[in-house]
Amino acid sequence: MANKANAPKLLVDGKRIDGRTTNQLRPIKITAGVLENADGSALLKWGNNIVLAAVFGPQESTPRHTADPVKATVKCRYSMAPFSSMGEHNRSGPNRRAIEISKVTKEVFENVIFLNDFPGSEINIFIEILQSDGGTRAAGITAAAVALANAGIHMKDIVYAVSVGKVGDDLLLDLNMIEDNYSDCDMPMAISPRNGELLLLQMDGNITREEIQKAIQMAKDAGKIISAAQQEALLKVYKNVEKEIENGV
Amino acid sequence: MGVFEEIKGNYVKELITKGLREDKRGMMDYRNIKIVKDFIFHAEGSSIVDIGSTKVLAGIKMQVGTPMEDTPTDGNFTVSAELLPLAHAEFESGPPSPESIELARVVDRGIRAANCIDLSKLFIEEGKVWEVYADIYVLNYDGNLFDASTLAVMTALKNTKMPKYENGKAVYEERTTPLPINAVVASTTFGKIGSTLLLDPNINEEAALDARLTITTDGKRVRAMQKGLDGSIADSELDNLVDISIMKYKELNEKIENAVKEE
Amino acid sequence: MKNIILPGALISETPIKMENTYLDNGKTFSKVIGLYDPEKKQIIPLEGNWLPKVNDIVVGIVTSSKGSVYEVELFFFGRGLLIGGKFEDIKFKTGDVIEAKVKDIEDNKTVILWDARALRGGTLLSVKPTKVPRIVGRNNTMVEQIARITKSSIVVGTNGIIWLRGEFIGVATTAIKKIEREAHTEGLTDRIKNMLENEMLKFDKQV
Repeated sequence: MANKANAPKLLVDGKRIDGRTTNQLRPIKITAGVLENADGSALLKWGNNIVLAAVFGPQESTPRHTADPVKATVKCRYSMAPFSSMGEHNRSGPNRRAIEISKVTKEVFENVIFLNDFPGSEINIFIEILQSDGGTRAAGITAAAVALANAGIHMKDIVYAVSVGKVGDDLLLDLNMIEDNYSDCDMPMAISPRNGELLLLQMDGNITREEIQKAIQMAKDAGKIISAAQQEALLKVYKNVEKEIENGV
Repeated sequence: MGVFEEIKGNYVKELITKGLREDKRGMMDYRNIKIVKDFIFHAEGSSIVDIGSTKVLAGIKMQVGTPMEDTPTDGNFTVSAELLPLAHAEFESGPPSPESIELARVVDRGIRAANCIDLSKLFIEEGKVWEVYADIYVLNYDGNLFDASTLAVMTALKNTKMPKYENGKAVYEERTTPLPINAVVASTTFGKIGSTLLLDPNINEEAALDARLTITTDGKRVRAMQKGLDGSIADSELDNLVDISIMKYKELNEKIENAVKEE
Repeated sequence: MKNIILPGALISETPIKMENTYLDNGKTFSKVIGLYDPEKKQIIPLEGNWLPKVNDIVVGIVTSSKGSVYEVELFFFGRGLLIGGKFEDIKFKTGDVIEAKVKDIEDNKTVILWDARALRGGTLLSVKPTKVPRIVGRNNTMVEQIARITKSSIVVGTNGIIWLRGEFIGVATTAIKKIEREAHTEGLTDRIKNMLENEMLKFDKQV
């Protein structure tokens, strides 16, 4: 976390730096099926985050010997573009943070995908952070879930993710980058909307037992909006075609 | 690439003997080109280019750095390319492939040779210069990455606003000065199948090519050339293609201009 | 329009046996993005790669041969094998495009083929396997209409690979791509018929 001495005031009279209230999500817009070659894809804009997620699979396992005869193998690559941050150029290639995020993201989807339906195969999930402004792992998971559904992968549910943080005694929903840098705590979560269970849970900072429960509830409330955006994106793929037919295209 | 592309390539060859292309294009016609600027505003400049279904994103980043030893008053310009694994089932994650390195270097060559960016204008003070990084991100592959990438990088550069320099640091929140651009280049990529030459090969046509030639011009002079694959080119063919390349510049430059002007 | 449902959508408060669904706590949910027909009690997936079934007709490419055993690329996550020998008088070479039937599936991912014949010339088109039923049509009516009007030979593989041969397969391809996009809509048969006839008229005019 950044040096607190230089910390900007993150919350003044109930308003955050970008004008939001403590319990407000940044605007989310999702478009599904944006890439031709991938089996499924989604472009997600979440505040200033721009994320492109794509899925290939079920496809042949490479190398062949890594195939699991009983179920599909899920592979996930989370990566940030060199031009994604408001600042210096980032070197290409996976760093330790990206590798960790790739792992915990993979574990989210290993839970919801019906792996036994595709034995011996590989399902590849690619998450490219084209522009980053805090909460990119949550944005990545939210986009990847849409890409997986768009690819026709069998799943229990369409997962969403969001982070909740803390500044002083206030819990803040969906931290942007500045808030993440100066907050006292950040807790990203991925949730299965159907049963409310946590599939990704990370936290660093300082939080009480009650605050954890409050934060989870904030995430679930926000989840209604996020899920709606995911569903709208997936249905729009078909609605757009219907509109074109009506207009005689 | 794979066996599927091979079959498609055979069919392409069959059509070529009848003087036809699968998508009914003329031999020297481009597919539909779409250029959008400023897709990534965190970048100092950016652009997405579609040629047919090929989709390439270019992002420009600038930062304060130290000059190269042999050019102490010049800024630095670096081009990198990534053939993202999401662009095609056959692309893999990992260290840069020879294809991605060739792509980056060919795009770099044309821009550098034409002095599109006056690197001497990037000098700040002794030991400090601006560094310009162009990153090519291939998002969907349907052939002809060279032309899509050159268009994307060129549009992004024309649209780049430099960070303010204050107290020895770059201030990214204030970017108003446009990056000084002297010249605009455009590349034209041709393929050769048997004795037929064609412009802008798509992925199926690429599977049938004997040779490939990319020519980058500034509208008057040739600034870079790159021949690819294991076939050969005759000097008369080369002459013809250089002529066509210079002619095509107008069309491509206009597309860049229109994209930059868009509000 | 039938209902489009998403993974995790509730199908029934009671346990029902239906393909593409799963049970949880006595309730039935959808596994896929698909069209739900409550009357026929059926979910038709709208997306997804081919999951092999016995008797599927497929189009593939021979990639190697060892004696009378051929490896066939079927463009899915497993492998295809065509076994020749006493009962099948077949000789294929690497690179041949073939039409075959799925005889058996081993370990859920090795498809054993039989009843194979070579498809000479022409080209291949890749479509989403979930759209194949619409492209073929009830009793093959859709694909036969396309083949007849465009004077083409067409073989549609359930695995999403289509073989076409003929002078006007460009028109056939356009029609197939249109069906792929509009598969979930009504009135498709007539729209395709009109499109085909209009496109073919262009060629008559040129003569």
